[in-house]
Amino acid sequence: MYPDFLYIAPLVFVGFGGILLMLLSPFKQITIRMAAFIALFFMLCATGLYFYNISELYSYYPYAQTFGSMIVADNYSAYFSTILLAGAIFTILIGVHYFEKNRGFTTEFFSLFLFSLFGMMLLVHATELITVLIALEIASLSLYVMIGFQKHLDKRMEASFRYLVLGSISGAFFLLGTAFIYANTQTTKISQIGIFIQNNPQSDVMLLIMGVCFIFITFLFKIAAFPLQNWAIDVYDGAPYPVTAFMAGTFKAAIFGFILRFVLVDLELIIDFWDNILYVVILLTLLYGSFLAIIQQSLKRMLAASSIVHTGYLLIAFISIDITGKSAASSIIFYLVAYFLSSMGAFGLLSYISSDDKVRITYEDFRGFAHIRPYMAAMMSVFMLSLAGIPSTIGFIGKFYIFVAAIESGYTLLAVFGILATFVSIYYYFRLIAIMYFYPSAKMQDVPTLHGMAPYFIGIISLIIIWGGIGNTLITYFPGVDFLMDMARLAYDSLQVK
Amino acid sequence: MIGLAHYLVLSGILFSIGLFGVMKRKNLLMLFFSTEILLNAVNIGFVAVGRFYGDMSGQIFAFFIIAVAASEVAVGLGLIVLWYKRTGSIDLDSLQMMKG
Repeated sequence: MYPDFLYIAPLVFVGFGGILLMLLSPFKQITIRMAAFIALFFMLCATGLYFYNISELYSYYPYAQTFGSMIVADNYSAYFSTILLAGAIFTILIGVHYFEKNRGFTTEFFSLFLFSLFGMMLLVHATELITVLIALEIASLSLYVMIGFQKHLDKRMEASFRYLVLGSISGAFFLLGTAFIYANTQTTKISQIGIFIQNNPQSDVMLLIMGVCFIFITFLFKIAAFPLQNWAIDVYDGAPYPVTAFMAGTFKAAIFGFILRFVLVDLELIIDFWDNILYVVILLTLLYGSFLAIIQQSLKRMLAASSIVHTGYLLIAFISIDITGKSAASSIIFYLVAYFLSSMGAFGLLSYISSDDKVRITYEDFRGFAHIRPYMAAMMSVFMLSLAGIPSTIGFIGKFYIFVAAIESGYTLLAVFGILATFVSIYYYFRLIAIMYFYPSAKMQDVPTLHGMAPYFIGIISLIIIWGGIGNTLITYFPGVDFLMDMARLAYDSLQVK
Repeated sequence: MIGLAHYLVLSGILFSIGLFGVMKRKNLLMLFFSTEILLNAVNIGFVAVGRFYGDMSGQIFAFFIIAVAASEVAVGLGLIVLWYKRTGSIDLDSLQMMKG
């Protein structure tokens, strides 16, 4: 056994880093670059701590007396926190250039960034609904401010405002659901709710089911599924690129991290109630998301819309959970990794280009991009291929597992719909590749030299994506997809440890 | 005799009022009032349930929710001030909706 502190040390590191940066921010000597490196230092320390017992199955309540068993440290939370930390680290590494070039960013931004990361990590560690709410609010409140940080731009403010208003309503729904659950079961701890369900007949849990419905509404809102997806495109479009990347890749993973724990621990009974609703939600999410993605002219909006489609894929695996729990849950976890890598790469590349080059927004602006910047165009193509799920990228493997899980659980129709949505997605992803490669550049102006480290990190992400697609067949012993998948299964198992 | 059900119904009514306000109000300040009503409606529910079961945690939750609501409003009011300085209006319609 390790000392309790080691289990919560990553959380403490990230939270402490946020407070330290806040205290340092009045000093003019601290440049944005220095603040970014301080933030990176704390995040890397936290990531390192998650590797101390990586291959061992554990589930432990650190400081059970003090925290009242409201926080758990298990393989599951470690896996998700590592995803979140990796996402945050890449966001900072790629975004430093953007933050330096654009007006309005100060060192406080990084403090908020760490607070938001702290909230997300707490979200995947939490086993109690009020703790979940507080974690969710820490993460969201910091995000609202981060979105509106460049306050001289109307667009940012508007996006921030919208997200704030809608987010607080969804938070209220979450609370209402929690109140119902509390009224019914006299507890808000997830594991005890499960025990209550097992010990009581169906007729006694009606209020509980209502409560769970409200919590699901919040969940569907936060991941931008069908009836509640309208905010996503505007907010993603209005936010600065690095923040968009952070929201799309990382925040979504954190939300799924919570809801999977909530459902998997023992609410499988309640999923039955949701099956039919979720079925329709998935179909409409895929359909409407694809439609929205097709009609966009701006690349950022297209990526935002396509994130709705990806939510649809994730929900396909989510609905399969009650039948093939293990493979469906681990496929969700794996897909989150794949999607976060691809979207982080795509948004990161766009952010780098838009901070350094002339502003490129729409598809047309990328006309002949490959002739000006061959390497960047190649990387962009890798991200597009991975998002579309073409074999030899990690995106393909992620989709493969999801559809396998769906077919195994008997949701063949949903899998077919998912595959059709993938076909459609090839249209809007490949359109960019075609425009970059097969059209002459409108004007071959002088090419500004590359600088900063962002291109290298974007390159690393694209290599990881390709490695994820083909790696394991080449060198067996180097960690690749199988390693990620094994870890995801282990994370699932750790939820079952009583 | 006023029992748990009465409190829960009150909480439900307040929640509906808040929800209605969020949907109908055009004034941004009123919008935030409405979200406050939403959260406080839930608070009543928590405190009532906590009292009913003789469980203190329900009342502690209410404190946490008050803190969450306060921080939400702090961010919201900051944004409203900024928006008012820029546009001279706190009307919802002054946020010109970004077009898809």
